[in-house]
Amino acid sequence: MRLTQFLTSKLKNFSNLPKEYIERSKKQVYWQTPREATHLPRTVERKRFRYTTNRSWTGQFRQQNLPGTMRRKVFVEPVEDWSFFRGDRVEVLVGKDKGKHGIVNQVIPERNWVIVEGVNWHYRRVGAEKEFPGIIIKSEAPLHVTKDIRLVDPSDLQGTEIEWRYTEEGEKVRVSMRSGRIIPIPETNNQTHDYKTQNAYIEREKDTPAAVVGEITFQPKLATFEMDIMEEMGIKEERTPAKSYWY
Amino acid sequence: MREIHSSFVRPVLMQFFDEPKHWNENEVKVGRAWRLDELRIKSNKELHQLWFILLKERNMLMTMEHECNDKMEIFPSPERIDKVKISMENLETVVRERNKAYHLLETGETGERPRREVTNAFGLRGYYKSCEHVLPAFMNTKWIKSRQLTHGGRAVHKFLLKYREKLYNAKRKSKNRSRNEVMMILRRNPNFDLSVLRRQFPDVDVDKLVNEDKTRGHYVPKVDV
Repeated sequence: MRLTQFLTSKLKNFSNLPKEYIERSKKQVYWQTPREATHLPRTVERKRFRYTTNRSWTGQFRQQNLPGTMRRKVFVEPVEDWSFFRGDRVEVLVGKDKGKHGIVNQVIPERNWVIVEGVNWHYRRVGAEKEFPGIIIKSEAPLHVTKDIRLVDPSDLQGTEIEWRYTEEGEKVRVSMRSGRIIPIPETNNQTHDYKTQNAYIEREKDTPAAVVGEITFQPKLATFEMDIMEEMGIKEERTPAKSYWY
Repeated sequence: MREIHSSFVRPVLMQFFDEPKHWNENEVKVGRAWRLDELRIKSNKELHQLWFILLKERNMLMTMEHECNDKMEIFPSPERIDKVKISMENLETVVRERNKAYHLLETGETGERPRREVTNAFGLRGYYKSCEHVLPAFMNTKWIKSRQLTHGGRAVHKFLLKYREKLYNAKRKSKNRSRNEVMMILRRNPNFDLSVLRRQFPDVDVDKLVNEDKTRGHYVPKVDV
């Protein structure tokens, strides 16, 4: 899924991390010219990353994209309207759990994947050493949004194809192709790593309280920022600057 | 907004470090960055105060990051640096907007540092940011000598020819790459919606690629009898 699609889609960023941080954390710069007037701004860096279930700001992601390594390109087909959100009930169309229903608990738009809770899982052995056999954990494999799953119609709990349509109020909604019922986007989609709902967010020590943020203190005034601050601090400037030329 | 924050009194040098209770944490939870709309409703005085709060926070975070790297520790929640940076950029934008409005009203100019497009000695166009000078331009012989912005001659011509070839190659390669991408998508998904591909790859002739050999997958095509 491309960036423009991400901006227009209703998919929320669960990690709640700023875009700048996500870009910065995965950056691998191999060589860079000094950022001076004597050099052109040239950078040699990793352009293609292998996205997996490990998110791009984690150490595991870096482990899978170590500097200097190349992996075969994965062709991800463009999805215009992203229709699977966290908390959606979906039906699995392939694999050993074919026909089962499950709730989407993670969305990975870079690969057109979703992870459905308790479906399409396998055992994984971790931490095995010579002496220690390791422990076995259950982990869910991702499912492809265009081939492996479809949404469940809430009216009859049967899998259905969907279509994006507009309501009379102009809101974009998902509509079941079979029954014509609207499939609402679950509230879980708005959850983030930091809060369940926006109102339930606990303000931390360094956060400015919401009431203070919303307070309007701006007074229009015929002065620049600097002039206003100087007046505030009682700084008087009476010198006249010498004539200068801009070129 | 100094009165808003509960600033704890600590020795001056220790203000460069985070609170000790955060030192061994894996995650320090904080809110999001200031948005433009929230900063636009704040007075100049408050913006001025907020700038220094953010600056102190940035100093603290960068010190902590450096110290954590030094001591081989994990720096908790590094996205805090980006949040502060976004806030500071937004604040600067708001201040600039206000100053611009004042200058446009009073003088009819933006009051920004003037810049103009110039062609340098290599024949490449770029922006030149003007500087403030004591002497007018025609008297400033030193400046005139330093800015010999004429170009021409065989060497520049040859350079430009090769430079443009390089640009053309980059363009050609990117076009080939997107063409290849379309073919590979079609090979993997034979029933893919072509209108989506046409919208996503406007510089590729999708209808022509449908019949390409590379688009066909390694399977027997289904034929309706």
